[in-house]
Amino acid sequence: MLQQQLERSSNNSGGNKGGGAQSRPSFSLRGLGLRLLGLAVIDAVASLFVITLFGDGLPIVAVAIILITIVVNWVFLSEQLYALRWLTPGVLLLILMVVYPLIYTIYSSFTNYGDSHRLTKDQVIAQLKTQTYQGANGATYSWTAYRSPDNKFKIILQNPTTNKSFIGDESGLKPYDAPATLPATLDGGFQKLTPFAAASQEKQLAALNLKNDQVAIQLISSSQAQELLSKYSFDPATDKLTDLESKVVYTPVKGTFTSSDGREIQPGFTSLVGGENYGRIFSDSNITAPFFGVFVWTIVFAAMSVLLTFAFGLSMALVLNDPQLPLKPLFRSLIFIPYTIPSFISALVWAGLFSIIGPVGIFSKTIFGDAFSWQADPNWAKVMLLFINTWLGYPYMMLICLGALQSIPTDMFEAAILDGATAIQKFFSLTLPLLLVSVAPLLIASFAFNFNNFGLINLVTKGGPPDSATTTPAGKTDILISYTFNLAFASGKGSDLGLASTISFFIFLIVAGITIFNFRFTKRLEEVF
Amino acid sequence: MTNKLFRRFSLILAVMMMALVLAACGETATPNATTAAATTAAATSAAATTAAPTTAAATTAATTAVATTAVATTAATTAATTAVTTVVATTAATTAATTTAATTAAVTTAAPTTTAAATTAAPTTAAVATTATPIPQASSEGNLVIWVDDGRAKALQPLIDNFVKQNGIKVTLQTLAFGDIRDQLKLAGPAGKGPDIIVGANDWVGELVTNGVIDPLDLGAKAKSFDPVSTNGFTYNGKLYGVPYGTEAVAMLYNKDLVPNPPKTWDELKTIAKQLQDSGKVPQGYTLQQDSPYHTYALLTGFGGYIFAKNPDGTYNPKDFGLDSAGGKAYAEQIDSMVKAGLLKKDVTGSIMEDAFKKGQTAMIIDGPWFIKDLKASGVKYGVANIPTMTTTPRPFVGVQGFMLSSFGKNKLLAKTFLTDFIATDDTMKAIYTADPRFPAWIPTQAGIDADVAAFGASAKTGDPLPNVPQMSGVWDNWGKSVTLIFQQQVAPDKAVTDASTAIRAKLQ
Repeated sequence: MLQQQLERSSNNSGGNKGGGAQSRPSFSLRGLGLRLLGLAVIDAVASLFVITLFGDGLPIVAVAIILITIVVNWVFLSEQLYALRWLTPGVLLLILMVVYPLIYTIYSSFTNYGDSHRLTKDQVIAQLKTQTYQGANGATYSWTAYRSPDNKFKIILQNPTTNKSFIGDESGLKPYDAPATLPATLDGGFQKLTPFAAASQEKQLAALNLKNDQVAIQLISSSQAQELLSKYSFDPATDKLTDLESKVVYTPVKGTFTSSDGREIQPGFTSLVGGENYGRIFSDSNITAPFFGVFVWTIVFAAMSVLLTFAFGLSMALVLNDPQLPLKPLFRSLIFIPYTIPSFISALVWAGLFSIIGPVGIFSKTIFGDAFSWQADPNWAKVMLLFINTWLGYPYMMLICLGALQSIPTDMFEAAILDGATAIQKFFSLTLPLLLVSVAPLLIASFAFNFNNFGLINLVTKGGPPDSATTTPAGKTDILISYTFNLAFASGKGSDLGLASTISFFIFLIVAGITIFNFRFTKRLEEVF
Repeated sequence: MTNKLFRRFSLILAVMMMALVLAACGETATPNATTAAATTAAATSAAATTAAPTTAAATTAATTAVATTAVATTAATTAATTAVTTVVATTAATTAATTTAATTAAVTTAAPTTTAAATTAAPTTAAVATTATPIPQASSEGNLVIWVDDGRAKALQPLIDNFVKQNGIKVTLQTLAFGDIRDQLKLAGPAGKGPDIIVGANDWVGELVTNGVIDPLDLGAKAKSFDPVSTNGFTYNGKLYGVPYGTEAVAMLYNKDLVPNPPKTWDELKTIAKQLQDSGKVPQGYTLQQDSPYHTYALLTGFGGYIFAKNPDGTYNPKDFGLDSAGGKAYAEQIDSMVKAGLLKKDVTGSIMEDAFKKGQTAMIIDGPWFIKDLKASGVKYGVANIPTMTTTPRPFVGVQGFMLSSFGKNKLLAKTFLTDFIATDDTMKAIYTADPRFPAWIPTQAGIDADVAAFGASAKTGDPLPNVPQMSGVWDNWGKSVTLIFQQQVAPDKAVTDASTAIRAKLQ
């Protein structure tokens, strides 16, 4: 059944290459119904998503989704574009999920987005405008709220220093002759509210007209109200913020309102800072000093991980591929076990085994002496990491090698045997090259993965042991990605996402470069064999 | 023939799409289409059910359902994106205090954030409903949302239930992983999806204030009823940002079978440790982990060093950093000499230290109250004592837990009233202590509590609050590395603390 469908679809697409309307697939009502239903569901989800995104203030993504939805609808409804039907959604989503984040990362690398620069400028201004101060003559009152059955409110304000009281509602404040204890009800059916009941009517109470000599009285806590003045005013024309209390003028400098004498207002806001983050990478000695060492170790770690897992996995595969091996399924299952355990659990277990109370740690101390340490010695820590990574990765390599070995034609080996080749000659001249043709792309993928293997480093050594020569955030076993993490999140003033984006972009360039080189190399391999 | 059919279907589809879009926009649409939209919405999101009670008019039910779904989806997307950063962003500072929370965070983030998405949608729905159709004022106007971690939510729930019953005000406890509360607030708050109140630790304050997501508050006359160390912990730039309820600090734990009387001075401790090691009773008399500067702060202050100098009012002065002061160097040399004398060992992590104590393989450690539950289960006869005096009285770091006010809450006055008139009362503080036994910050509750908690509390009373400046994550990093290097005997103690201080000062500027 499936086979038939596949054949049909391949026939269709084959026919479509010729172009023209006659290559259109046979038309069925049910097929059309399903297609329309599917499109309706997609459109419904997309329109909800778009509305949400607009509501969230992400119009660019929303527009992108609208365009994608339109293109998808068009492609699925137009019979001429049948060939694109199954390709388009994938390509468009690829752009949305891969290209867009990449562009966004590059954009972020030119901003100071991060802790203390998270809000937008408008949000910061809105927040600063709500800030108030008590003027020199500003009085503090205690307040009590009342409510009538038809939801009108009154507030009695009592000034404990002057002993004057006021009663206020929508029409304004009036003097009030307060008794020693305030009454439970006022004329007009007004009932006294408990602090909680009053506080839950915040909006209605704030709407009352409570002003004394044009100074607004605000309820600042469950018992107190104060005559308060706005602390800041912002002039969009001059882009200046004025502190009305101290008369200091602040101008925005790189996402922070700064006064002429260098005082800053927190919080700051996200703003473009030009190439500052890029400048830091090349000028900050904290970043440049350990970079070379970290870079070399990253390459060594990734390359050795691939080499060791591949060598070990391949040898296992060769053994398992031997037709004379008994109990093959059993061995295969046992060898494959490491791959079935979640790798972060395995990593933690191995870290425990290598620790001073773990069996490996204790055993190595008895052999190499008490001073030996897997954690304190940088070289041994690296050996430990490679060992653990090999253990985690070889089953995968074994699996793909087993598959690839099956596909090597046996007649070549028969010819080689007739020519009198030894087992070693057969392996290096036939098995390995033929295997590499099919396995090389996976090795490249594995390299790229290990290049960014943050999880293992963070779980096993956390980059340690620390670098004794410098005071940088790089440890002896930090790879580029964990080093980026340290720089951006763990070692500075909170999260510096702008800098993190900058370094991520560099890592992207490095990995992309290595991958392109590797693919060229593999292509040559394919041409040779 | 087929082409005609196809065109007719496209037309129907186009109409359906337009109807959907219109319905979703909240405009008037044909009744059929509105129903369709409602069905889709209900199918896509479970949150649609929350729309029912909050919507008054039946005709608008469909529109609100769509709006709710929209909100829920956003929350879910934000949750999903932040889940990644959350797992990554567990800082050294919080791991010290909340080891368990941090380790489980990675595993559980997915689950709580999803629920977060579903429930936080509720208040927003109410808001949508009010703007669309003015609902007559009812006693339940406003829904106070509190973000809290799972353990404390269980402790607070009965109290809240009681409060709701008495005052008829809607309060929602939203559970999140502990670290997520801080990280989500930084993201969700500015997007308008924040809570009114969060429950968190005092060392978050600086970070949250510089991000503009929490508001200062005023305890009025009640401030006097709080332990000064707890209110100092929540003070940043001279303003109070939290209502503290519990404090915790490390103290000395000793094995009563091995050490009948706890040492009073550091020299005594070293003598006892040496005797125990020489007699072969334990491999290590006193154990200290090398990877947690937090645990060594008591040593630093005991030898006269400091991290930040203090102002006369008890708050820190972040400009005066003292890891390489004379006392700081004495502390570094002390660790160095103890390692050289075999009284401390390198490569010991927190779990190794706790494990050794549970198995009776070490007689004395410095650790916090979070270890007690585990320790009780192990059956070791332990005692809790103040940390022995060095050249001066040691002051451990004190972590303070408390309630903070979100800048983006919709019920600010209610939230303030809730904190000052409900939380900061004898009954509530007592109930919080009973449900979540940390040493109370509320002085009237400090009498008549569990002996272990009181012993840790006595240590906390002598301590310094955990600094809440946002640069602290950088301080932990270099300070921790310098201690590790001394333990590993790779760098001279003097140089280790001097180098670390140089790097830290550069960050503090």
